[in-house]
Amino acid sequence: MSIMEYNGGSVIAMVGKGCVAIGSDLRLGNQALTVATNFEKVFPVTDRIYLGMSGLATDVVTLREQFRFRVNMYTIKEERDIEPEAFAHLVSSTLYERRFGPYFIEPVMAGLWKTQKGEHKPYIAAADLIGCLNFAKDFVVAGTASEKLFGVAEGLWEPDLEPEDLFETISQTLLNGVDRDAFSGWGAIIHVITPDKVITRTLKGRMD
Amino acid sequence: MSSLNDVAGPQQRQFNPYTENGGTILAIAGTDFSVIAGDTRQSEGYNIQTRYAPKVFRLTDRAVLAVNGFAADGNMFVKKVKQRLEWYRHAHAKDMPLHAIARLIQTMLYARRFFPYYVYNILGGIEDDGSGAVYSFDPVGSYERETCRAAGAAQSLVQPFLDNQIYFKNQQPAPGTSFPAHLPLPIVLKLVIDSFTGATERHIEVGDGLEMYVVLAKGRDLSGLEGIVGLQELSTKSDGERIFVIRRELKKD
Amino acid sequence: MNTFVNQFSTSSALSVIRKAQALVDDDEEFSDAAWGSEAGFGNLAKGVPSFSVPAVHDPTAFLRLHTDDHADPNCRIKIQHGTTTLAFRFQGGVIVAVDSRATAGSYIASGTVKKVIEINPYLLGTMAGGAADCQYWETYLGIQCRLHELRNRERISVAAASKYLSNLVYSYKGMGLSMGTMICGWDKTGPAVFYVDSDGTRLKGDLFSVGSGSTFAYGVLDQGYRWDLTDEEAQELGRRSIYAAGHRDAFSGNTCNLYHVKEDGWRFLGNYDITKMHYEGPGDVPGSAKTGYGYDVRVEGRVSSAAPAVAS
Repeated sequence: MSIMEYNGGSVIAMVGKGCVAIGSDLRLGNQALTVATNFEKVFPVTDRIYLGMSGLATDVVTLREQFRFRVNMYTIKEERDIEPEAFAHLVSSTLYERRFGPYFIEPVMAGLWKTQKGEHKPYIAAADLIGCLNFAKDFVVAGTASEKLFGVAEGLWEPDLEPEDLFETISQTLLNGVDRDAFSGWGAIIHVITPDKVITRTLKGRMD
Repeated sequence: MSSLNDVAGPQQRQFNPYTENGGTILAIAGTDFSVIAGDTRQSEGYNIQTRYAPKVFRLTDRAVLAVNGFAADGNMFVKKVKQRLEWYRHAHAKDMPLHAIARLIQTMLYARRFFPYYVYNILGGIEDDGSGAVYSFDPVGSYERETCRAAGAAQSLVQPFLDNQIYFKNQQPAPGTSFPAHLPLPIVLKLVIDSFTGATERHIEVGDGLEMYVVLAKGRDLSGLEGIVGLQELSTKSDGERIFVIRRELKKD
Repeated sequence: MNTFVNQFSTSSALSVIRKAQALVDDDEEFSDAAWGSEAGFGNLAKGVPSFSVPAVHDPTAFLRLHTDDHADPNCRIKIQHGTTTLAFRFQGGVIVAVDSRATAGSYIASGTVKKVIEINPYLLGTMAGGAADCQYWETYLGIQCRLHELRNRERISVAAASKYLSNLVYSYKGMGLSMGTMICGWDKTGPAVFYVDSDGTRLKGDLFSVGSGSTFAYGVLDQGYRWDLTDEEAQELGRRSIYAAGHRDAFSGNTCNLYHVKEDGWRFLGNYDITKMHYEGPGDVPGSAKTGYGYDVRVEGRVSSAAPAVAS
């Protein structure tokens, strides 16, 4: 069995109109055995950037701390918050440092970046486990349910969704996607990032 | 030059008669109709062998069989099912009922338990009581009646979408209302087209063309089919169940 | 293994199949019965079912190469695995409870599988392992049980029915059949449960659970089991055990089908959604505590990490 499926779990991010959403399931398993149902895989990086990671749970935790450290160093040096694009490349280069002995995670990033005029534009990206970035305009997925999430997202997503509609779309995509995956599910969490606030909701999902 | 080690062991070969030809099939049952659909691309690895190889076949006026997996096995299997149905017609002077075709397919698949047909079958049509029905099979014949089933390369993309849109999974009905157990034909056709365009977008083995077979119960009017371009009737009589086929283009890249 | 010996053996499953095929005329694949219906079992017309076998030296190895025997997820033909089934005998009869999930790799192929096979009004069989193997052979067992009734003017005993099945699968031993089943019923001796699997094992017992989630089910079952359980308690125990397996085992879940076998035959009690049981319980049914089974539901607001706010 692949090490990427050892703990299970899935992550997804979507673009909306002036907002982005990112979410994950809550399962942590040991192969078929479900060990915990409160393991979040999405973490805040700045007020407007969230990072999700699916894959080997130990690496998820390690990298969460690694990125916290590197983003803090960046903030101190630059005396400003990191922008999503710079963060995406930070993630990419951190993963590529371990090109020949990789961390077994696939990251998904979602954030808002500020234009010169001061507008907030959505930004999402994903990468493979050695840091090859994928900048998508619609949605990105990762984890054991990735195929299923692609299928549902392709059917439900549409451009320019307002925050509440985006929340509904990403929630339905995530819940229905993980319900067809044996290694993901057992509840979910969604963060919708808007220019002035982040809406975080825990979803009641199937518990089997 | 071959080393001593190469000479030492016996030469071994393995017999591999199977290949995977991609594509996806899908069937949805309504109250008095069923829709059975499949794309028409046939591929092997990254190569497209043909852009038009039907995977959905009319068996009788009320039964349609969709086959997916290894195309050679699939075509042979459909041929043999049709042969058995013809024999049944000669012996009984009527078409075999749908539930009986389902059991026939089980025993035909299980007869090859030790040399399986590498084929996933979905049988759709109208039951004797006039209800729409879908039966899905695994390659060695286990089967179940369902309302909706996707199989093949993009089953994992399509099925969760259908769970959400057909069974209304993870959705709450508005207070005081409930979800319909079966959807009307126009909505089903829309969902089938959406499913295949979505699968075409994200799966390389799906695309080129889409064939949707619609089976209508005896005496049902054509509501839901009016105004559909390129609608073609395949039924042999007009007073029994009726079969139509609708063809659509899918992306070819 | 001794595959070479098997080719010349007169008692192996393979040779039995070859003999059966020799019975059916070589150039005629279909018997006359195929023209009619024979209840869909046309290929059983000669008494012994006939199976096509690939023309290779070792058909068993061929089959293993192409079908999923747990080990190889990459092989093309996926056979459904992953299940929780249980059955137990008690004062009031037999309780049979199963989940309804079928997985192919990590994909949940179906959440509505009927894993209890209704062999006849007095016999139930459960399904674990190869879905087709269980469906087909337990249907076939149903035919043989009916023939037994007609020949002997008497219903077949559970012991005899289960032995028929176990002898049958034993004759195919090593050919790759995969089934782990419990044959449950009521006969002259009272309630009976027999465990039969494709290795040829046949065990009489009070309580069995089979499948990837069986360890979880046993945990609840053993803890709550008594011979003098009331009907309602026993039914609740069956549901609760399947819930536990559905919750913890990734390859089990979706819904629970519950059956109760009594002197007058089996009765289907209901289909219970496992997530609904987690949050709300099984609903208004006899024996249920009317609260959710879920751990987080039962401890809500009562754990130290989420202590209720202390009034200051």
